[in-house]
Amino acid sequence: MTNAPRETRVLDAVVSLVDSLLDDFDVVDLLTELTKRCTDLLDVAAAGFLLADPLQQLRLLAATSERARELELFQLQADEGPCVECYVTGRPVSIADVRAETDRWPQFASAAYEAGFASVHALPMRAAGLVLGALGLFGNRTGALTDADLLVGQTLTHIACVAILQELPPKPATVLSRLRATLANRVTVEQAKGFLCERLDVPVEEAFALMRTYAHHNREHLTDVARRLVTERQGRPTLLAVLTELAAPPE
Amino acid sequence: MAIREQLFVALDGHRGVAAADRLCEACVVLLDMDAVAISLIFDGVATGTLGSSDGPARMYDELQFTLGEGPCLDCVTQRAPVFVVDLADPDDRHWPAFGPALLAHHIGCVYAIPVVVAGEYVGALDLFRRKPGHLDGEYLSGAFIAAELAALPVLDLLDADLQAAAAEPNSNAWAEFNALCRSEVSQATGMLVAQLEVEPTEALIRLRAHAYATGRTATDVARDILARRLKLDAD
Repeated sequence: MTNAPRETRVLDAVVSLVDSLLDDFDVVDLLTELTKRCTDLLDVAAAGFLLADPLQQLRLLAATSERARELELFQLQADEGPCVECYVTGRPVSIADVRAETDRWPQFASAAYEAGFASVHALPMRAAGLVLGALGLFGNRTGALTDADLLVGQTLTHIACVAILQELPPKPATVLSRLRATLANRVTVEQAKGFLCERLDVPVEEAFALMRTYAHHNREHLTDVARRLVTERQGRPTLLAVLTELAAPPE
Repeated sequence: MAIREQLFVALDGHRGVAAADRLCEACVVLLDMDAVAISLIFDGVATGTLGSSDGPARMYDELQFTLGEGPCLDCVTQRAPVFVVDLADPDDRHWPAFGPALLAHHIGCVYAIPVVVAGEYVGALDLFRRKPGHLDGEYLSGAFIAAELAALPVLDLLDADLQAAAAEPNSNAWAEFNALCRSEVSQATGMLVAQLEVEPTEALIRLRAHAYATGRTATDVARDILARRLKLDAD
């Protein structure tokens, strides 16, 4: 599929994502998948969804990577950077060369450059007349997003918004409530990553991959698996045993 | 000053019950309410009203625990806000005992928004108003902000050693709130759950208590835990 024309790859992604929406799905899981699709389709090296909490602070919900430097880049955008600007204005931001922005975003621009990124972009997540957050994109090469890139990115972002809001009527009260619930789920998933790092002695990235694999195999929600790990002592040993086996499959 | 900033100012320099009371008092003024309280339902160890804007607010709020039904109980069970815009509406079936009891005190509507700590739904911010009606615009967003911030005094209260409960004139609610939202803090909380065999809320309290005791930020402590440079002792 990687050699197919982009049009085909985009349609393939949309079909598969909308297919997930029509089935029972987990939001954090689906959005993580969406960030991976972004890197496949948009010539960017890293992508992440940032969602605004009730205090209008952007918080990281899903990203392509668990690498500390990239996580820091997303989290720095609580204060400054293209995602904040995109969130505040509700419009896409495309920065062809991040080194040119050190005056505007002193912390963010230098951190992005030091992490090996040349270009940065952000697309708004919107619903019910509200901006919910932003999709942040980081490229290894300089250059702005093309119109086609923007369209593909915005399509994936819309899918993310639909996933977050699910069947709820998009009124401000329900949207605000849904955003909080989604962020609370993310907290539980993060806790479960830490829990598995400790118990299985694996890096965060692998802990997350194991949980997702387990959830997919067993048709369970990622958040439910995470919640069972960190809050349900009784079921924990069985679940841990299966995850341990997934981590080191028997010969 | 925007509602958000004023809510932070109300919390700054206060901890525990005092901070919860200040937050409730600020909600009365900023959100045009008549009474506001923060209540908890936490594994039976801390069930009841934590903070309130005044005596009557505490009384309205405690009624729900006496009667066994009410907004905080519903918020925690449903993991969602509860808005009852007109308690006098004969079609309203929310609370057969609590509803009429509030009406007897001339309260016309109730809004309750969950309080979430370490991903767990532990209580609610309960807003009471005489005049029935919807909660709109900046009052609505302000109420969600206040419920988010209520996690700070709730954490103070749940800290059994009360390390954090002493009033700190320099405590900065904004900085603390932001530190607690970071991925590293949640991941380190999960590591502590594994290491200390405690619940996530207890793990977060331990992480935060260590940060206070050593004068560092929760984020720094979380990074050390994740890098295995720091190990907290079991009780």
